[in-house]
Amino acid sequence: MSASSSSITSAVPSQPFGTSADSIIAIADTSFRYAHDDAGVAAVNPTVANPVSGNVASPTDRALTHVDLAVRPGETVMLCGQSGCGKTTITRLINGLIPNFFHGPLTGTQVVCGLGGDGDTSGDATAGARDANVAAPVPIESLVPLVGSVFQNPKTQYFNADTTSELAFPCENVGMPSAAIRERVDETAQRFGIRHLLGRSVFKLSGGEKQRLAVASATMLRPRIIVMDEPTSNLDAAAMRDLHDMVAELKRAGVTVVIAEHRLAWCADLIDRYVRFENGAVAGEYTAAEFAELGAEQLELWGLRALDLAPYRAALRAKVGVTGGAPDVAEMAGRMSAGCPRSARGLNDGLPSERGTSQPSVIAAVNAETETASDMPVTSPIGPVIDSASRHPSAASVLANPSVQQTEHQSPNGAAIIATHDLVVGYRRAFRREVADLALYGGDIIGLMGRNGAGKSTLVRTLCGLQKPLAGRVLLHGRSVRPAALTRAGFLVMQDVNYQLFADSAREELLLGLGDADDVIRRPIDLAAVPDTETAGSGIAGAQSAEAARMPYLHPATLGEQADRVLDALDLLPFADRHPMSLSGGQKQRLAIASAIMCGKELIVLDEPTSGLDRAHMMQVGALLRRLADDGKAVLVVTHDEELAALWCDRIIDMDGSPSLTKETI
Amino acid sequence: MPVTAASRRLDPRAKLYLLLLANLLLFFHVDTRGEAIMVALFLLPLFAAGRWKNGLRLAVLYFALLGLGLWSDAVTLDGAGGGSGGSLIGMMDGGANDGGAATFAVTAGHVAGLLSVGIRMMMPCLITGAYAFTTTSISEFVCAMRRMHVPEAIVIPCMVVIRFFPTIVHDYRQIRNAMALRGIAAGRFALVRHPVQSLEFILVPLLMNATIVSRDLSVAALTKGLGIAGEHTCMTVIRMSWFDWAFMAVCTVPLALAIGGVL
Repeated sequence: MSASSSSITSAVPSQPFGTSADSIIAIADTSFRYAHDDAGVAAVNPTVANPVSGNVASPTDRALTHVDLAVRPGETVMLCGQSGCGKTTITRLINGLIPNFFHGPLTGTQVVCGLGGDGDTSGDATAGARDANVAAPVPIESLVPLVGSVFQNPKTQYFNADTTSELAFPCENVGMPSAAIRERVDETAQRFGIRHLLGRSVFKLSGGEKQRLAVASATMLRPRIIVMDEPTSNLDAAAMRDLHDMVAELKRAGVTVVIAEHRLAWCADLIDRYVRFENGAVAGEYTAAEFAELGAEQLELWGLRALDLAPYRAALRAKVGVTGGAPDVAEMAGRMSAGCPRSARGLNDGLPSERGTSQPSVIAAVNAETETASDMPVTSPIGPVIDSASRHPSAASVLANPSVQQTEHQSPNGAAIIATHDLVVGYRRAFRREVADLALYGGDIIGLMGRNGAGKSTLVRTLCGLQKPLAGRVLLHGRSVRPAALTRAGFLVMQDVNYQLFADSAREELLLGLGDADDVIRRPIDLAAVPDTETAGSGIAGAQSAEAARMPYLHPATLGEQADRVLDALDLLPFADRHPMSLSGGQKQRLAIASAIMCGKELIVLDEPTSGLDRAHMMQVGALLRRLADDGKAVLVVTHDEELAALWCDRIIDMDGSPSLTKETI
Repeated sequence: MPVTAASRRLDPRAKLYLLLLANLLLFFHVDTRGEAIMVALFLLPLFAAGRWKNGLRLAVLYFALLGLGLWSDAVTLDGAGGGSGGSLIGMMDGGANDGGAATFAVTAGHVAGLLSVGIRMMMPCLITGAYAFTTTSISEFVCAMRRMHVPEAIVIPCMVVIRFFPTIVHDYRQIRNAMALRGIAAGRFALVRHPVQSLEFILVPLLMNATIVSRDLSVAALTKGLGIAGEHTCMTVIRMSWFDWAFMAVCTVPLALAIGGVL
């Protein structure tokens, strides 16, 4: 028995192995290791931008180590912990995907609704490891009526093309008569208030609606247990409220709900018990009251998201009103240090002094610290001081501008990289939205928030030149330009970054479209913004023609060096020869950003870069945004993540607000 | 039981039968008269289902092609004078000898005849296909297949294919956007100029994504009991009514007669 499996502040006495009369789920002394490297962690978070970056490299790591978990009927349990801590694996044990779909050596006892698990009850880890799965595993089919499952990605968890069929699907599979199915569909739609969703194409639903449908569909067979694996990672605040209400309804009905989740705030009032995982083992169990008393600092120390978003929301409200320009340094510094209570000074010493020249030293330190903490995803947040200190100088030398003083935090009076004037975005018939004038400056991180359907992605696509504005103008460096020019200047890091990687290796990915092998030879001006060139950042548009004259087409070798420098700056150099698809989600995201830097993009837009991420990884993304901004890029983040927005964004554009609220004074 | 709605629509199995008839029509190369009758019959259920716009468009297209074909027949027969004169030789002869307005009309007539007949022969299949796919929900199709005792090993792939089409369309758009942002194969003619390279850029992310989606779908389907042995039921009730049988018979008769050479 590992020491970590005994809970520190156990609310529920841990169950004796195998015998758990009053438990609906009894997992005892269970260890598991994914057999295939892809089946494990990649599947945790397949299409979202940032799955764990650690476990992919070491597939043989145990996903669970001697885990004991007992859940009483009717209990609502939250499994929390950093990415890769094993909480998703627990949900798969409960719904039978392990060992039926995800294979690997499994030991210990797993009893769900009285089914299964009497094979290896010795509790002897060594013996268990040797003859794993001696007993025939419970077939997943027998668990179907007992356990309903909701998964992370709303797009890939429905099997039918229309909503009514999707609800009927589980009932059809168990062979219910058609009249009973219709009755059940009707009743469920009534129960969860989703009658208006019936009979529609699932493809046309919003993410929140899809997730509500997924929950409703999971309850169709009246299961006694519902497991949810990060159900909110793609949802906005309103959709999370809807989901909260559905969980509340399930709780009222006495259904046992097990939620594995990074975001803790949305259902905090419903949770009876929190189980915290660390490195595949239970690190602690807490009642709701105990958990609430832990305090924000403790949660951050564990790398968990905040339980109470009120302070973040307050910070957001303050930022919505902020006019364009330099962020309030003092205020920000104060907030940052409050957000990260640990001493940041020590790490800062290892950094080159150039880092701190133009930036509040606290921010620089916090950046460095979060880097340090989060580059090692699976370890605890206090983790070892890895080579970030040695890596950072190179990052700084490439990304941080030599001429920071002039370029960073351009004054609001300086030319905005992108500005809009009376812009109306939308599609000709379907959608139309007026956007208050806004201006994006180099050095700024702007958060674009608002509910689903508010027009965020349409606006972003318009700013990147992927679609034409219906009316109004988009100004690039003060000049009205056509969409094609915007496409050259802007870059969108998609939520699903898999679409954006084309080459055979990370280095080629950066050179793609740049080398002379391709007919799309970049004009040198695009390379001007590659950080190492001296004039980068300082009035790129103005210097365009001069720049073009001065710099002839770059030799491929030079390009290769530059690619390596950019890769190094984003900590990707060790993976330069790896296939992009073999990288972890976070690395893929950084690679896409690297390709944007290589193309000399000035506006970098990120679509939901932190969905499905724990706090440590979220902070890592935030630090990356800051580095991009410090390099003179205008950074626009489309996000529902209030923590990211509050901690890292300089300004917030709220698409929900009235135009006067979002009005930017240029 | 929504009687009115159900009675206006054919059973999915009847639709499949119509599709089969349309293919036989093409296969046996039925003469124009028989074909016109069949097309008229095939158009009826489309109108009955309320697909006026679609039905009218197809009807106009078919009869325009029919008219064009008749005109070309008339022109070529007159011009070249041969009995089976709608032939290429006749056209060449005309071109070599006369070289006037009449020849031009003959040439145009031949080209028009070729096109009109080619497209017209596809029309019955198009019409029945359009009817089958626009008026049938997927659940009805699945139900029909199960009622016809099609094995689940065929039913499930069919469902997956239907499920995947919109995903692929969506993925393709995303990838094209990503390519535009990177300046890879951007612009209108890039795909034409570098077809192989562009295909690779599109296909690789498309397939990568498809593997991920397919794994997620399998997981979702498994937890919803798709793998459960035993009979799977359908929420949608489909029933062959007398009307279905009657319509199938009405459509079969002219085809049989035409194939038999009676009509």
